[in-house]
Amino acid sequence: MRKLVTLVVFLCLISSQLLAQTQTVTGKVSDASGIPLSGAVIKVPGTQTVTLSTEDGSFSIKVPTKAKSLLISHIGQDDITVPITSGPLRVTMNATTKDLQEVVVVGYGTKLKRDVTGSVSTVGAKEISNTPATSFESAIQGRAAGVSVSQQNGKLGQGINIRIRGASSVTAGNEPLYVVDGIPITSENLSSNGASTNALADINMNDIDNIQILKDASSTAIYGASASNGVVLITTKKGKAGVSRIDLNYFTGLQKPTGKREFMNAQQYVDYFKQAGAGAANQDFLAGFYPSLASALAAYDTRIATRLTRYSAGNTDWQTAKVNTDWQEESFQRAPLSQYDLNFSGGTEKTKFYISGQYLDQAGIIVRNSLKRYSARFNVDHQMKDWLNIGVNVNFARTDNFRVSNDNAFSTPLQIVALSPITPLIDPRTNLASGALDLVSGNPNTNYPVYYNPLLSVLDASYKTFVNRTFGTTYGKVTFSPNLYFRTEFGIDQLNQVEESYNGKLTSRNSGVPNGSGAYRNTQVLNLTTNNYFNFRKNFATKHDVDVLLGTSYTSRQSDFGSATGEQFPSDSYQKLVNAATKTGASSSSTSSTVLSYFSRIGYKFKEKYLLTLTGRVDGSSRFGANHKYGAFYGISAGWIVTDEPFLNNVKWLKTLKLKAGYAGNGNDRIGDFSARGLYSGNAAYGGQAGQHPTQLANPDLKWEITYGSDFGLEAALFNNRITLEVDYYDKQTSDLLLNKEVPGTSGFSIQTQNVGKLKNSGIEVTLNTVNVRSKNFSWTTNFNFSANRNKITFLNGQVLGGGVNKAKEGEPLGVFYAREFAGADPKNGDALYYKNTPKTDGSVDRTTTNDYNAATDIKIGDPNAKFIYGFGNTVSYKGLDLDVLLQGVAGNDIYNGGGQYMSASGSNGYDNQTTDQLAAWKKPGDITAVPEARLFYSNGTDPSSRFISKGSFLRVKAVTLGYNVSSSVLKRLKIERFRVYVRAQNLFTITKYKGWDPEVNADYQASNINQGVDFYSAPQLKTIVFGLSIGL
Amino acid sequence: MKNIFYKTFVYTLLLATFACSKKLDTKPTQSIDQSVALKTSSDVLVALTGAYADLGTATFYGGYPFIASELLANSGELNWSGTFQSFTQINNKTIPVDNSFVSNTWLAGYSAINDVNNVLSALSVVDASKVDRVEGEAKFIRAAVLFDLVRLYAKSWNDGDATANDGVPIILTPTLAITADNQVKRAKVSEVYAQILKDLTDAEAKLPAKNSFYATKAGASAMAARVYLQKGDYTNAVQAANRAITVGTSNGISLKAAYADAFPNTVSGNTTEDIFAMQVTNSSGNNSFQTFFSANSRGDIQINPAHTALYETGDARLGLFYNSGGSRYTGKFDYIYGNVRIIRLAEMYLIRAESNFRLNTATGDAPLNDINLIRARVKLPALTPVTLTLAAILKERKLELAFEGAALHDIKRTQGNVAALPWNSTKLVYPIPARELRANPNLTQNAGY
Repeated sequence: MRKLVTLVVFLCLISSQLLAQTQTVTGKVSDASGIPLSGAVIKVPGTQTVTLSTEDGSFSIKVPTKAKSLLISHIGQDDITVPITSGPLRVTMNATTKDLQEVVVVGYGTKLKRDVTGSVSTVGAKEISNTPATSFESAIQGRAAGVSVSQQNGKLGQGINIRIRGASSVTAGNEPLYVVDGIPITSENLSSNGASTNALADINMNDIDNIQILKDASSTAIYGASASNGVVLITTKKGKAGVSRIDLNYFTGLQKPTGKREFMNAQQYVDYFKQAGAGAANQDFLAGFYPSLASALAAYDTRIATRLTRYSAGNTDWQTAKVNTDWQEESFQRAPLSQYDLNFSGGTEKTKFYISGQYLDQAGIIVRNSLKRYSARFNVDHQMKDWLNIGVNVNFARTDNFRVSNDNAFSTPLQIVALSPITPLIDPRTNLASGALDLVSGNPNTNYPVYYNPLLSVLDASYKTFVNRTFGTTYGKVTFSPNLYFRTEFGIDQLNQVEESYNGKLTSRNSGVPNGSGAYRNTQVLNLTTNNYFNFRKNFATKHDVDVLLGTSYTSRQSDFGSATGEQFPSDSYQKLVNAATKTGASSSSTSSTVLSYFSRIGYKFKEKYLLTLTGRVDGSSRFGANHKYGAFYGISAGWIVTDEPFLNNVKWLKTLKLKAGYAGNGNDRIGDFSARGLYSGNAAYGGQAGQHPTQLANPDLKWEITYGSDFGLEAALFNNRITLEVDYYDKQTSDLLLNKEVPGTSGFSIQTQNVGKLKNSGIEVTLNTVNVRSKNFSWTTNFNFSANRNKITFLNGQVLGGGVNKAKEGEPLGVFYAREFAGADPKNGDALYYKNTPKTDGSVDRTTTNDYNAATDIKIGDPNAKFIYGFGNTVSYKGLDLDVLLQGVAGNDIYNGGGQYMSASGSNGYDNQTTDQLAAWKKPGDITAVPEARLFYSNGTDPSSRFISKGSFLRVKAVTLGYNVSSSVLKRLKIERFRVYVRAQNLFTITKYKGWDPEVNADYQASNINQGVDFYSAPQLKTIVFGLSIGL
Repeated sequence: MKNIFYKTFVYTLLLATFACSKKLDTKPTQSIDQSVALKTSSDVLVALTGAYADLGTATFYGGYPFIASELLANSGELNWSGTFQSFTQINNKTIPVDNSFVSNTWLAGYSAINDVNNVLSALSVVDASKVDRVEGEAKFIRAAVLFDLVRLYAKSWNDGDATANDGVPIILTPTLAITADNQVKRAKVSEVYAQILKDLTDAEAKLPAKNSFYATKAGASAMAARVYLQKGDYTNAVQAANRAITVGTSNGISLKAAYADAFPNTVSGNTTEDIFAMQVTNSSGNNSFQTFFSANSRGDIQINPAHTALYETGDARLGLFYNSGGSRYTGKFDYIYGNVRIIRLAEMYLIRAESNFRLNTATGDAPLNDINLIRARVKLPALTPVTLTLAAILKERKLELAFEGAALHDIKRTQGNVAALPWNSTKLVYPIPARELRANPNLTQNAGY
C-alpha cells in the first residue's frame, strides 16, 4: 500500500512537473469585422516560442504554464497582448492606421510611411511573386501610379522600358536607377545583336520582398546625379525569428501570341501582283520607256510570270494557287513554361536567414527562342554583439537565353510574313526547306524565296546568350547608442556574359558567307559600391523628432568586352571558332567610370504632425567635363498630418489625412563614359594596315542634366481604412539636356554632345484602394490607379532629332511621329496623295493635295506617348477561394507600323506578301480608296506618312489568378502548413483597335528615348496560362 | 563609444575624399585624347591610313555615290528591285531632302576630308623621307572627295555659269572645336574645281610612282584627267590621261589580257589594271557594288535586255552577265572581298581617245589606236577611220565602264537625257541634306528642292 501511495504521489509529481512545463493553447485570430487573419505571429513574450495562424486564423501553440499571455501581431493590425485563459482564445485585432504605420525603404535607411514627405509607390511580394514572366518589371505593370512599363516585344528576356513620371531625357538614359538591398545594380543593355536585353531578368522575382518606387524629386534627391528618372528600391526577403518555413512553388503552363496579322492567301497574292505589274507597266509607258501601253503590259506580264514561277519553286502551281502557305504560322511555336522554387527561411532573435533556389524553363512563342534561368540566393543577418550586426545578401543567377535576330533582320522569324504564300514550305525540287538548296549551284538559293527564309536560321543557326551574374551586399551596422548607428555596405555586381552565334551553310544568303560564320563575344561588367553612413534619431522634449543621415558613397564601374568572329567551317557539325578556317575579326575594348558622393538627409518632426525633410548630395563623376567634375543637388519637402489636429478629432470618418509638398533638383549622368573628351580611335584599319582617325569632338563643359521637380500630394484614409486615397500632382523641369547636337557635317563630325535642351513633365496620379466587402467568409477589395503625364520638349536649340519617323522637336512631346500627311489615293489615277501642309503667304496652311511627296511637308501625325495609363485590380475571396483580376490600360497613344512600307504598301515596294487591307487598292478612275494603285516597285505611297499610323490605346486583362487554399483542418492531417493551388493567366485578353500583332510594341532594333511606338515585324506579347501550386512546410 | 564614433566618422570621410577623388580621372582605353594623337611621324602615317578607311566607307568610296550615279542615270537598262528606300528614291529621281544616303555620303566625304586636314596640319612631325608622299596622298584624297561631292550635290560644270553656281563647301583645316566658323558657305562650282585641281597638281608632283595600293603619281594624273574631262577641258584631259598612261604603264600598270580578269571574283587585291582602288579585305573595307549588283548578295540591281542589246555580237564583255532565278546580273562585282575599282587604266585610254578625237590631236597615241586597244581586248573588230566617230567612242566608253559609276556624269557632260529628263534637270542633282541645312544656316538648298 505504501508502495502504491508512493507510486501515485510520484506519478502525480511527474505529471505536475510535466504540466508545470508546457501547456497547449489554441485559438483563432480575426480582424475587427470577424475575418480570419492568416499569418498572424503568435508569440510568448520573453521566449523563442512562436507560431503562425493558418488560413482560417486558427493556431495552436505550446506555451510554458507560467506564461500568462500571448503577444499577437499581424501586418496592418495593431499588436495585441491576450491573457491566456482556459479554452480556445478568440483574438480580435484592430486595424492600425494602416498604410501609415508601414515601414518604407527610402534610400540609405527606412522611414515610417507616416513620416514620408515624398511620393513613394510600393509593390509587395504578393503582386510580383510567381508571375509567369522573365522579369519583375512586367509584374509591376499596371500596379503603380505614374510608372509606365512596356515590353518591346514578346521575345524572351528582351528590353523593357520603364518610365517613372515620363521621360526626362532626350539622349541620355531614361531608365530609373535600380537599387537592390542598398546597392545600385547593372541594368543596362549588353546585347550585341541590335536588340536590347534586360539585365534585370537575372533577378528572381520570388526573392523580392517589396519594391519601393521613389517618384518625386525630393525623395530621389538622396541619389543626386543618378536620380532624375526615379529610383526603384528592391528589398529581398529575410527570415523571421522563430518561424522556420519551407516553401515549395511550382507552376507550369503554355504561352501563345496575343495577336496575329492578316495576310493575303495565294490566290489573292497572285492576282494582286499581276495588278501591281499592270500598274507599273502603265507608269513605264507614261515615262516613255515603252512605245505602247500594250508592249509595257506584255513586258510586265512576262516579268511577273517569271517571278511568280520563281517564287512558286520554279513551277506553275501559282497559276492555280495550288500551294497556299501560311508563313506567319511558321514563325510561332508551341511554348510551354515551368518554374520551380524552393525557399527556406527562419532564424532566431540573433540570426535570421533566407535561402532560395529557382529554375525557370521557358520556351518563347517565336521559333528558336527560349530561356532558362537558375538562381540561388542566400541572405543572412547576425547580431554579433549588442552593438554589431553583420550580414550578407548574395544572389547567383545563370541565364541561358536562346535568342533570335533583331526585328530588322531578314532572319528574324516574323519577317517570314514577307514570303509569298505561293512558295511551298518544302521545295519539291529538293525536298528541303525552301531556299535551302539551289540544284544548279549546289548552294542555298540566292533569290528564292523572295527573301531569305528565316526558317533556314531555325534549321541552321543559333544565337545563345549565357549570363553568369553574382550580386550582393555585405554589411555591418554598429549601434553606438539607441539614437545613433553607423552602417557600412560593400556591394558587388558582377556580370559575365557570353554571346555565341553560329550561322551555318544554309544561312549563306543572309549571312553572305558560304560555309558558315561564327561569333563569340564576352562581356564582363563589374560594379563596386561602398556606402558608409551615420544615422542619428532622437526625440527632444517629446515634441521634436530629429532623424539625420550623413554619409559617403563611392561607385566604380568597369566593363570589358571581347569578341572574335570566324568563317569557313568544315561542316555544320563544327560550330566553334577553333574550326573556322578564316578568323575574320577580333576585338577587345573596355570602358569605366567612377562616382564619388557625399550625402545627407535631415528629417524633422514637430508634435508628430508637422514633417520636414531636407536632402543634399554632392556627386563627382568621371564622365563629366574637366570644368564640371562635381555637382550638388538639394531637396526639401514638408508634410502635415491634418487629422492629428484637434479640429478634426470629431470627424470620425476621416481616419487620416496627410498633405505634403516637395521640391528638389536631380541629376542624370547617364551618358557615355568619355563623352566629354576629344577622341581619336585606332579602329580605322585599311587594307591590312593599322589606322587611326578622329572620332569625337571635345566638350570640357559637359555636365549632368538637371531636373527640378515639385510634388504636391495628399494621402487619406477614410471610413476606418475601408478607403485609402493618394493623389499627387507633379511638375518637373529638366534643363541642360545632353544632346547630340547636330553640327555641320563639313566639320568631319555629325554631332557633339552638349548641354543644350530643356523639357518638362507634369502630371497627376491617383491611387484608390477600397475594401468593398469584408465579412466572415467573403471579402472584396479593389485598387485603382490612374496617372496622366504630359511631356513637352521646350528647347532643343531649334534642332529636330530622330532619324526615323519619331522626332524630338521643340513644343512637342518626346518622340512624336513626324511625316507627310497621307490623303489616300487620287480617284483620277490612283497616285498616292499627300496634303501639302505647306505654309501659305497669308499664314494659313495649304490643305491641297499633291502626288509629289517632296511638295508636301512633314507634320505631326501622331504621338507614341500615352495620354494616361491606369490599372484596375479586384481581389475577391470566398472561404478558401480567391480571385484576383488586374486590368491594365494605356490610352491616347499612336503606333507607327514601320513595316507598313513593305507589308501594307499597295505591292509597290517589292514582292512582299501584303496585308489583306491592301486588296482595297485603287483600280479604275473614280475609285475612292485610301489604298493607292498597286504599282510594282513604283513606291506609290510607300514613303513614311500617316498612312501607317494607328491608334494604340488598349485595355488588357493583364493578370488573373484563381487560387484555392486547402483548409487547415485538412492540412493538419497531412502535416502541411500551407497548400495552395492556382491558375494564373497573363495578358489573357486585349481590347484594342490596333490591327497589328500587339499594341504594346517598340521595334527592338531601333528602340531609344526618341524611337517609341514603332512596330516593325515585332513579335507579339505572350499570352500565358499556368497552373501552379505552393506548398508550405 | 564616442571615441569609436569619431574615429569611424573621420576615417570614412578621409577614405572617401582622398582615396577616391583621384579615381574620378578615368581614361579611355581603345581611344586616345586628340591632344596626343598626332605627336610622331608614325602617328601621322596611321592617321593617313585611317583617312583611307573613312574614304572607303560604304556610303563613299565603298560605292554608294557611284551606284547612285548609275541609278540616277537609269532609264530602263537597269531594274532596281531593292528595299533600300533611299536608293529607290534615287532610282525614281524623286529624292527627298532627308534621303539618308544623301546625308550619309555628305557626312562620310567631309569626315575623310577632316581626316586628311588633320594629317596635313601635322606634316611638320613627319619624317623628311615620307613627308612628300604623305602630303600627296592627303591632297589626293581631299581632291577625290571634293570631286565626287561637287558632281553629286551641285549643278554640272557645263550647266550655266560655273562661277555663279553654288558648289560645295571647301574645308582645308582640321576641326578641333565647333564654332560659328564651322558654318561654311558653299563655294562656287568653279572654285571647287580649282581647289580639286590645285590639290591634284600638288599630289601628282609629290607622290611616288609606286606606292603599294595607296595613291600614286599616276593615280593623281588619272583623277585629274577625269576632272578635266568633266569640265570639258579636253586639252588638259588628254595631257593628264597621257601622263597617267605613261607613268602607270612604266610602273607595272597594264590592261589585263581578258576583260573578265579586270574583275576577279575569287581573289582580293588590285589587278595590274587598277590605277586606284579601295582595298577590301575580310576585316576592313566595303564593296557596296557587290552588295547591290551581285546575285550572291542582295542582287537588288538586275540588268535589263535594254542594256545587253547595246553590245555587238561577240563582245567579250557580254560574257560577264549571268542569269540567276530568271534575272540577269552583271558579274563585275561578284566577290564580297573584291576591291572597289575606282580608276582602271582602260578609262585613261578612253579619255585620251575622246579628248584627242575632239581636239583632232594624237597626243600619246591616235584615238583610233586607243579605241581599238579597248575593242581588241573584248574580241571586237577594229574600228576604221570611217567608223571612228564621237558617238562610237562614247558608246565604247559606256560599255567598257558600265555600272562603274560614270553613267550620270557622262550624261551630264555630254548633255544627254535620262528618259524624259534632260541632263540638266534639277532632279538629277542631289539635294543638300536636310540635316546640313539645319546645322548650318549659311548653306543654300539646290534648285528643285
